[in-house]
Parts: sequence; C-alpha cells; structure tokens
Amino acid sequence: MFATCYHCGLDLQAESTFSAVIGNSEKSFCCHGCQTVCQTIYDAGLASFYQKAPESQILTPPAEDFEYSDTSFYDIEEIQADYVTQQGELSHIDLLVNNIHCAACVWLIEKSLNRQKGIEEAQVNFTTKRLKVAWRPQDLKLSKIFKLLQQIGYQATPFESDEAEQQEIATHRQLVYRMAFAGFAMMNMLWVSIALYTGADQGEFKVWFYWISFIIATPTFLYAGYPFIKQGLGGLARRQLTMDLPIAIGATVTYAYSTYVLLTPSSTGHIYFDTVVNFLFVILVGRYLEAAARRKALSETHRLMTLQPKLATRIEAGESQVISIKKVKEGDIVLVKPGDSIPVDGKVISGESAVDESMLTGESIPIVKTVGERVIAGSINTEGALKVEVEHVLKQTALANMLELMAKAQQDKAPIQALADKVVPWFVLATLSLAIATFFIWYQIDFEKALLAATSVLIITCPCALGLATPMSMAIATGVAAKGGVILKSGIALQQLARVNHMIFDKTGTITQGKLSLCYSESSKALTEEALLQIAASIESYSEHPIATAIVSEAKKKNLTLQTITHFQNFPGKGVSADIGQQHYHIGTQYFLEELGIELAPKWLEMLQKCEQEVISTIFVVEDNVVSGMMGFRDKLRSDASLTLDTLQNEGLFVEVLSGDKEPVVKAVIKGLGDLNYQAELLPEHKVQVIKARQQQEKVIAMIGDGINDAAALTQADVGIAMSSGVGMAVEGADIVLSQNKLTSLLVVKQVADKTVKVIKQNLVLSLSYNIIMVPLAMMAIINPLVAAITMPISSLLVIANASRIQTSNKVSG
Amino acid sequence: MEVIYGLLPGMLILGVIGVAVFIWAVKSGQYDDLDGAAHRVLLDEENDDTDQNDEQEKLK
Repeated sequence: MFATCYHCGLDLQAESTFSAVIGNSEKSFCCHGCQTVCQTIYDAGLASFYQKAPESQILTPPAEDFEYSDTSFYDIEEIQADYVTQQGELSHIDLLVNNIHCAACVWLIEKSLNRQKGIEEAQVNFTTKRLKVAWRPQDLKLSKIFKLLQQIGYQATPFESDEAEQQEIATHRQLVYRMAFAGFAMMNMLWVSIALYTGADQGEFKVWFYWISFIIATPTFLYAGYPFIKQGLGGLARRQLTMDLPIAIGATVTYAYSTYVLLTPSSTGHIYFDTVVNFLFVILVGRYLEAAARRKALSETHRLMTLQPKLATRIEAGESQVISIKKVKEGDIVLVKPGDSIPVDGKVISGESAVDESMLTGESIPIVKTVGERVIAGSINTEGALKVEVEHVLKQTALANMLELMAKAQQDKAPIQALADKVVPWFVLATLSLAIATFFIWYQIDFEKALLAATSVLIITCPCALGLATPMSMAIATGVAAKGGVILKSGIALQQLARVNHMIFDKTGTITQGKLSLCYSESSKALTEEALLQIAASIESYSEHPIATAIVSEAKKKNLTLQTITHFQNFPGKGVSADIGQQHYHIGTQYFLEELGIELAPKWLEMLQKCEQEVISTIFVVEDNVVSGMMGFRDKLRSDASLTLDTLQNEGLFVEVLSGDKEPVVKAVIKGLGDLNYQAELLPEHKVQVIKARQQQEKVIAMIGDGINDAAALTQADVGIAMSSGVGMAVEGADIVLSQNKLTSLLVVKQVADKTVKVIKQNLVLSLSYNIIMVPLAMMAIINPLVAAITMPISSLLVIANASRIQTSNKVSG
Repeated sequence: MEVIYGLLPGMLILGVIGVAVFIWAVKSGQYDDLDGAAHRVLLDEENDDTDQNDEQEKLK
C-alpha cells in the first residue's frame, strides 16, 4: 500500500498495478496511461523530468484511454479560425494547460515540443499556465501538437483571451512604460538638480542646465503626466472633481511657471522642473503598486475563468461533431470524453463517470455522476464518456455565475467606501480653495513663494491616500477570501460580517455532512462489533444504497478486509441478502425482518426504541435467521464543525443551531459540540421568525445554511452565508458563499472581515491625520513642493502597505 | 568645464537607450512570467547529449 506510481505519485492499489521495465529498472504504475506516458518520456530522452519534478508533488495522471482520443477535429479550419492567428509562414496558438504544476512540467513541455520538426517555438508561461506555440502548418498539423502533449501527459485546450483581459494587460503595460520613463527622467534630473543646488545656478552654465532640465521635464510632463491631466479634465467636463485634478493642476502650474522663468531671461526666479518630474514619478510608483495588488487580487478570478472549455462535441442525428462552444444551444446533446472538461451545465442522459469538481468546489474526490444527475461546466470528466443534455451554456453556467458574483463583489462599494467616494469631491474642492487662498495670501509678499506654497498645498493634500483607503482594502480582502475558499458577493457583506455577534447555523448539510454514516452499532454476544461491521460491509459493498456506502466507508476507515460473498440479492427498499461461507445473511430494516418472519427479541425491540429517537434509520444483521446485530445511521458532524464552532465561541460570538429535524436527533448530533443553544423542529418560516426576533434584540445575525429551507433565513439575516454544496436557491440568497464547502472557511472570512474593517478605519485615520498635519505646514510655505511630492506618495504607500497586511497575517489556513 | 556641454546630452542619450531597452523587454513579454523564469534557471540541461543523439528520433 505504500508504493506509489512512478509517474503520477498516486498510491498504488495492489490489484491494479502495472509494471514495466523502463530505463534500467522496473517501475510500477497506477494505470496504463501513466506507463505509456513514462515510456514516451524515457524514449524521448527526457527522463530527467522525474528528477526535476518536486517529490511531494502529485502529477495529474493522464486520462485513461488518451491514446485513442481523437484530436483531428482541431484540424478543421472553422475551429482553428477562432484560436489560430497567421503570421507569414507561421501559425500561432495560445493553449491553456491546466495541469502544469511545477517547473519540471514547463521543462518537459518546452523540451519535447521544441524539438518536434515544424514547431518553431513553444513557450510556457508558468504563472498563467499557458502555452504559446508557433508552428509551420505545412509541416505539422495542429492536431499533432495536441497529440504530443497528450503523450507526455498533458491536456491542452485552445485559449482565447477575452477583450477585457487584453485591455487590462495593455493598460498595465502603459502604466509600466510611463513609470519607467518618469523614473529615467527623475534619475537624470537629479544630477542636474545637484549641480544647480551646489552653485551651478550662479555661473555661466546656468542657462545650459536650465535648458537640459526643460528637455527632460517636457516629455515627462506630457507623457507621464498625460493620464492625470486627461482624467482631471475629463472629470471636470463631467462636472466632477476627481483625485487627479489637484495632481494635474499642481504639475501644470509648476511646469508652466518654470517654463516662464526659463523663457524670460530677465526673471530672477528659480525653475522647478525637478519637482514636476519627481512628483510624477513617485505618484506613478504608487499607482503601479496599487495596480499590482489589484491584479493579484483579480488573478484568482481569471484562473477560474479559464476553466470553461471552448469546444464541445455535439451529437446530432447520431453523428458527433466538434463545434465551438458559442454554437451550442440549450437542449443540444454533447458528448464529454474521459479526460475532457465538461463544457456546459446539464443533465447526464447516458453514461456514468466520476467527475472532478475540485476546481469549483474544493472537493478533492471525484464525484460519481450517473444518468439524471447534473454536471457543471468547468469540472473534469475522469472516467467514462458522458452524454449530457445542455441546460446552460457560457454566461448562464454556474461557473460564469460564480465569476460574476466575484466580479460584483469587487466592484460593489461598501458603505464606508461609498462614503469615501462622496467625500472626495468636497475634499478636492477644499484643497483647491486652500491652495488658492494660500496663493493670494502669499502673493502680497512674494509671487514665487505664493506659487510654491500653493503648489505644495495641492500636492500635499492630493487625496490619494483617502481615495485608496477603502478600495485597496476591499480588493485585497476579496482576493484573500477567494484563496481561503470564500466568495464574497458584495463588499457590504464583509463589513456586516465584522459587526456580527450572533451566528446561527443550520444543521443538516451545514454542521453535518449531509450524508448518512454509521453512528450506533450493537452486536449479539456471539459477535464483536468489528466482526459485525466486517460482515455487513462485505455484503453491502455490492449495494449502492446510502446506508451501504456508510457501512463500507466505516469498514474502510477501520481497515477491515472484506470477505468474499456469494448469492448476493438486493431487495430494493428493504435490504439485501448473501452468503459468506456456510452462513446465510440478511441485512435490512425491521419490516424486512417481519416479512421474513423473523421475530425480534424484546432486548432488540427495546434497543430499537431507544435508538430510533436519535438516529435517522436502523438496520439489522441476521445470521441464519438469528439477529446478530443492529446498526443505526445518522448524519454525522463535519470534521471541522467542532473546531469552527469552538473558535467562534471563543471569539465571543453567540452560536446557535436551528434545525427542522426531531429534537432528540438534533440533540444527539450536537452533543459533540459542547454546550450549544439549539431549536429543533422548525419550519423555514420559523427560522425567519427566530432571526427576526434576535434582530429586534439588536443582534447582528449571520446565518449559515445550505438548503432550500434556509434560503429565506439567509436573506433575512444581516449576513447570509451558504455552503457551495447547497442548492441554487440558498446560494442565490446568500451574501457569502463558502466555495470549498468547508466550515473552517468561515473562520477565514470572519477574520478577513474583522481585519479589513479595522484596516479601512486605520487607513482613513492615517490619511486624514496626515493631511491635518501637513496642510498647515504647506500653507505656511515651510514645505517646498519637492518635500511635498515625497511625503504625499509616502502617505499613499503607507495606506497600501497597511491594506496588504490583510493578506499576510491570516493564520487560519483554508 | 566645457565638457559639460557634451556630457549632459551624452547622459540623456544613454538614459534614452536604457528606457528603450526596458520598453523592448516589456513588449517582448519578458516581464509576463516572473515565476517561470525564476524556476527555469534552476533546471539543468544535463540531457543535451542525449538530445543530440536523439535529434533524428522524434517523438512519435
């Protein structure tokens, strides 16, 4: 059991191990796919891949029968048209290879593609998991590239970057260019400034230095300062006072005055080109850092977005055809081959397979889907082929929905942020008035001093820090939450959550797992409990019933080996029977036994009565018509329920459980959670009433639930939190979704919320106090524009740095 | 000190070249994958010999 597959590192199951001599030694594999991939890698002389791959990393095993999977549809021109661009002789395509997990993967892919004749260049971007290929179509077909990737164990999908992303990249680059240019200008300007400060402004070189300053400052002002001037004026045109306006005015005035001094030989004034340049550079650095932090927060969203496949195999009149996902309509039937991503939301109409939904739900074990069950776009079909009837495509899918929720949360303004937005125009107005006042007061003494003081005021008060305080924190918080498995639907929710002092949990599916497990077992004197379980599991392993699953998983947990059984028979709704060796066994409900004519001894009846109060269902194990044991099943607590609830209570929150179940069942379930307040046998409307009553007691309520019966309660609560395993309605009504379906995510998001609100407050205080201290100094002309230009961005950076703390000190791991 | 008349334009030209190189680097995507570049440098190319031997023998 300790051996692992040589290729993918999964644990080997004794009965299904493949071995082959590859290289110089015999190696074991978990599947034929892994073996083939390893063989290919060795044949290609790329065996050092296995030394390069980090040991602890588990690679994704290749799809079961990838060798036979058809890639030829990629050669159809119509399909290529969407993804392939032509440049002279070469074709280019962007592929998304989601199972790149380490640098060795990058090496393997690049190495094996680059030596293929016809491929001009293959380059992997490790950060985005994308592969850029340039190839000569006359030498090599596109399908061959996909095939090559499959042979070394990677599944690629064509990738079409959307316009929004393209634009974001373009804007980001623009910002980098402007910053770089301003940086260059600043560095050179410093030399000139040093010369001027140390006396060059007195001698024969004065005019020369002035002109050099002018030459450096002019393009900087026009190029690096352009966005500020544009935004500032654009705001004015819309009758809005924006944060960029004071920056634009400050820079323009300083630049214009310096130019005036330069062009008027008689004037005795100084030039301040260096101020303009430094000021712009430092502000651009601030903007860049802001954009970088925001991009990081958004990258998680982007990763999810790339999950949605771009192609689908549609079955029409018995023929399958690969088409672009854009052409798939509701009601179409699509075929999903093993190893492929499921392109649509829909219902399985034929086939059975395990589907990996981990990227969406965090659930690490593939979930078995059979006819009639729903699959979601973006999940991966791991075993058998499925035919899916399309219910939702593209923007309507659960995946797209989730992304929209995240995008909305990031744009959505928290009340505190809306406040800041309202304050900014007044702030700008005040700044401008103060600057003008300063100018006129000093003008009576000295024109130059007046101009400088006014400029300082403009620069100092530039309300960047104030404007940044909230959005920065919100953006980072959303990103951190997403990493911890939490989707925030709105910024308001985060702020509310920080105020929450009373948490109400639903029972089924929220603090419990929502599926049956063995919680009670009693055996007759002839058998030990373990032996009873062993017998039951051996027989039930042939059944698919939830109770059977519960028994088998319990036996697995205890490492019991299953016995061979014969004559297995299933009586739906009642029980099963089978032989082990000479003994004949029946397992089933009380009614099953009655039907068989087996009498229950009073001892069993008594136990049944006692037990039935606390469990959902009971079964009996009968050996040769003699009852040998009884088992009770109940919804079990989530493994993290106790930790989560304890932690919340330790933090001073009041925790309460509301359930629709029978009182004794609820009592029994939460027994393991210490002293908890609970209410049982509640209808959905009762839950709402309970919440309303609590709210009237001035409590801020967070409701955590997952079912349809919780949807109303989730909406009524100040903050509704849904488990992602929950039904659509619940998720819809909630403000926060725990996407990894783990209760501990709740601790993460609570912590993030507390922290965020604290940081936002700190930031507001920080930026306001900075202004209160610095503005009077600037008005008194104690601070010159250069100092102002240095301190102003420092205040902005301080705010950004403070906001980043949300990211770092998150102790509870998701 | 007349040298200053030559030095300052020289400084500017060097600076402009620096900016141009930087912009070229950004444009050519050298800043797109900072993580990958960091790892790539650590991977040895000890397999180059076999690579040459295998030159003809392409992947199937």
